[in-house]
Amino acid sequence: MARDSYDDSYARPVRRLLVAVLVLLLLSLVLLWRIDNPRVERIRAAILDRYVPNMEWVMAPVTGIARMAEGFQSYTRLFEQNQELRRELQQMRAWREAALQLEQENARLLDLNRVQLDPELTFVTGIVLADSGSPFRRSVLLNVGARDGILDGWATMDGLGVVGRISGVGERTSRVLLLTDAASRIPVTIQPSGQTALLMGDNSATPVLDFVDDPGDVAAGDRIITSGDDGLFPPGLLVGQVVFTSDQLMRARLSADLQGLSFMRVMRSHPGTTLDDPAGVVGPPWPPAGRRVDEDGTLVPDDAARAEVGVDGETDEVGADEVGAVDQ
Amino acid sequence: MSALSPRHVWTYRAVFVALALFLITFKLLPLNLASSGLPGPDLLVLLAFAWTVRQPAVVPLGLILGVFLLADFLFIRPPGLWTALVIVACEFLRRRRLTMTEFPFLVEWGAVGVAVLGMVLLNRLALWVLLADLDSLGLSLAHAIVTVAVYPLVVVVSKYVFGLRKLGPAELEAL
Repeated sequence: MARDSYDDSYARPVRRLLVAVLVLLLLSLVLLWRIDNPRVERIRAAILDRYVPNMEWVMAPVTGIARMAEGFQSYTRLFEQNQELRRELQQMRAWREAALQLEQENARLLDLNRVQLDPELTFVTGIVLADSGSPFRRSVLLNVGARDGILDGWATMDGLGVVGRISGVGERTSRVLLLTDAASRIPVTIQPSGQTALLMGDNSATPVLDFVDDPGDVAAGDRIITSGDDGLFPPGLLVGQVVFTSDQLMRARLSADLQGLSFMRVMRSHPGTTLDDPAGVVGPPWPPAGRRVDEDGTLVPDDAARAEVGVDGETDEVGADEVGAVDQ
Repeated sequence: MSALSPRHVWTYRAVFVALALFLITFKLLPLNLASSGLPGPDLLVLLAFAWTVRQPAVVPLGLILGVFLLADFLFIRPPGLWTALVIVACEFLRRRRLTMTEFPFLVEWGAVGVAVLGMVLLNRLALWVLLADLDSLGLSLAHAIVTVAVYPLVVVVSKYVFGLRKLGPAELEAL
């Protein structure tokens, strides 16, 4: 029978060759991904874009049943929950009163100061389609994409706090890198002490706060808000609260409910930094003002600019010599 | 229906693709957003291994390539690396399946364990060489161990639910 022909002695070397070629091709794909990451990630976004909206019909019943099962479990604790809710409601009434008073006071003060709120801070709301979830990666897919004007780097929030940022935009879908992912780092401010810190995800439910100037000044329960230092996130979005864990690390309990994510707001904030250039070096502008690069690649004073500047031609000469020395 | 007739083979190929798509889709569903702790087993790899050992004609190279490349792209993994490792591991098992049919199941389980562990370590090594982000070693090893531990379950399901039995040496010799 020739069906299983790869077992024939003459077919075996051919098969071995085929496997070798395939593996080489795949490894070169990995290399390509490592070298030209933005382009391959765009391909990935396109594939996700085709696959994920098509699984919506299977998604609806399965997620529905799972959520029903969760809801059914909670029936067994109905009485306790009722009591708990009543107590909380009582507390909330007190808070509501306080909030109303504060709101009025705030409005009065804003009016006194003639403050204008940032009109750019509008948002697009998306539904969570899928999570590429494993203990290794924390990200979800939203059903809004480039056609809704989503850009890479924008902040996403649930109703209360920051969830993560957009990382990868397809035509109809976009990927949100959660704050808990090991690749997520955002600059934050800790209130009321006003210290800046870096919020670094580590795949656990509570990201780590690091690079705090004076950890002694921070207490458990302090509010964490985005600082806006990265130029991506708008400043002042609520992130969570400081907690100290038993491993002596300062961590953040997120305000956003990452367990029950279903709707998300993408904050339409700033154009953001795009990652189109795969291997640019971060540094000052090159060549520096008043110089130019000649054919050999060495730095020489730019005559046109020199004629304009004129006065500090001598310092230019010194600078050029220094650069020449470095080149050798 | 003979275990080697084209109809049988093509039916099982379709079943394999359907199962793989189901597993991929199920893993993508937003059900376990905040679950941490033990990583789940890689059922896709186990399915490919169990079926390769049982009836290699059912899982040809092209099928493995397509399914795992799709999974690489959808699960935000470095595209191609895991696929290459799966292909090499499947070849390894395919070449040793004749000995596996003669010995008890434990031998097969051991071979699969070696393959999975080797894949995880090679994956780490490749990522390390490429200076890419590494997952924590403990988590990767836990993933490998859970995956190997679930293998008998996948075999039982393949055998009794999908009726995929191991081809004996007599049948293989006839090829």
